[in-house]
Order: sequence, then C-alpha cells, then structure tokens
Amino acid sequence: MNKDEILGKLTTIFHEELDNDDIVLSFETTADDIEEWDSLSHIQLIVAVEKAFKVRFTSSEIQSWNNVGEMIDCIIAK
Amino acid sequence: MILQLDTIFQHQFKVDDSVYDGFINTFDDQNSLHINDEFAQNKGFKSKVMHGNILNGFLSYFIGELLPTEDVMILSQAINFKNPVYLNDILNFEAVVSEQSEAVQVNTFKFKFVNAELKTVASGKIQIKELT
Repeated sequence: MNKDEILGKLTTIFHEELDNDDIVLSFETTADDIEEWDSLSHIQLIVAVEKAFKVRFTSSEIQSWNNVGEMIDCIIAK
Repeated sequence: MILQLDTIFQHQFKVDDSVYDGFINTFDDQNSLHINDEFAQNKGFKSKVMHGNILNGFLSYFIGELLPTEDVMILSQAINFKNPVYLNDILNFEAVVSEQSEAVQVNTFKFKFVNAELKTVASGKIQIKELT
C-alpha cells in the first residue's frame, strides 16, 4: 500500500474508533486537531491500527510520532 | 505484559436474589419483563428474565477481582445477549486473552457465559489496559 492508501484506511479506523465520520485525516494531522483523540482513545486507536495492518509497534515508536504522517511511515517500515 | 496470550480464566456466577434485588434497588429498572413472571411467560419466556446488564456487573467483577493484578482498567466492552437468564441460574463464565498490544499494554478478552443447559447466554469482547 502507498501512503495515500494507508491514509484512507486509517481514516476509516479513526471514524470507527472515535465514532466521528466527519474526521478528515491528513499527513500533518495531530491529536490536537481532533477533539475525540485523547489519551484513552489513542490507546484504542493503536490497537485497532495494529490489528488492521497486522503490525506491532513498540512504545518508543508510538512516542516518536508527531503526526499521522509519521505513523504511516512507521507502518510502511514494518 | 502481566497477562499471557491464550490464558483462560473461568468462574461461576449465580444470579441469586441478592444480585437481582441489588440491581433493581440500584438502577430501578422495573420493566415488566424483569419483575412479572406472567408478563414474561406471555412473551414466551419461562419466567421473569434477568436484566442483561447484570452480566456486565459480572464482567466488572472478573476484571476487578479475578485477574492476577489490580493494575488494570477497562477500555471497552461489547456484549451480545443470546439467550435469557433466569433467577437462580448458575452461569459458567470463561474468558481468554485473545489479543495483546505490547506497545500500549492492552489485552483483549473473548468471553462467554454458559448456563446449566450448556447454552451460551451471552458472549463478547472486553478490552483492558494494564496500568504501569
């Protein structure tokens, strides 16, 4: 999958996990941009992303991300 | 992770008067299906049907009391009700650690409640976070 395809799949995951179909993700999106993206929903997002892409992250990887684009880079690197 | 993948937990719950009365006294759901045998029988049930959310209370007990650590919190739970539960039913509960995320210390359990007739009365998933 390329970055845009991953972004599309992530958008669906965010809609489902955060229960908001109006969320528009971009590579620059951060948690500050999405009201529902708080510390607890972040955990559920990570679990859902791992399951959807069949990947496993480390805690240091997660903490290194500054935006959705860096999450996508990490998925591609797996 | 404190919990291990595929670990199975089992427990037996009884929906006795104290559970039933406690639920009604606390939440005041006195729908006729739950308090009136004749009403329930007219709807095709053996007798009054226990509140489905009593089982959510049992799930709370499972997470809070039966796991090998108290350092946990529930993130989400989903339950599907498949068969009615009646007063004094004994339910065999089983949960298995079905998924884990090391990165965020999250465990997902698949669970089910089975009655004495070996019918699954409810099943679902519950997701917890290990607190560090």
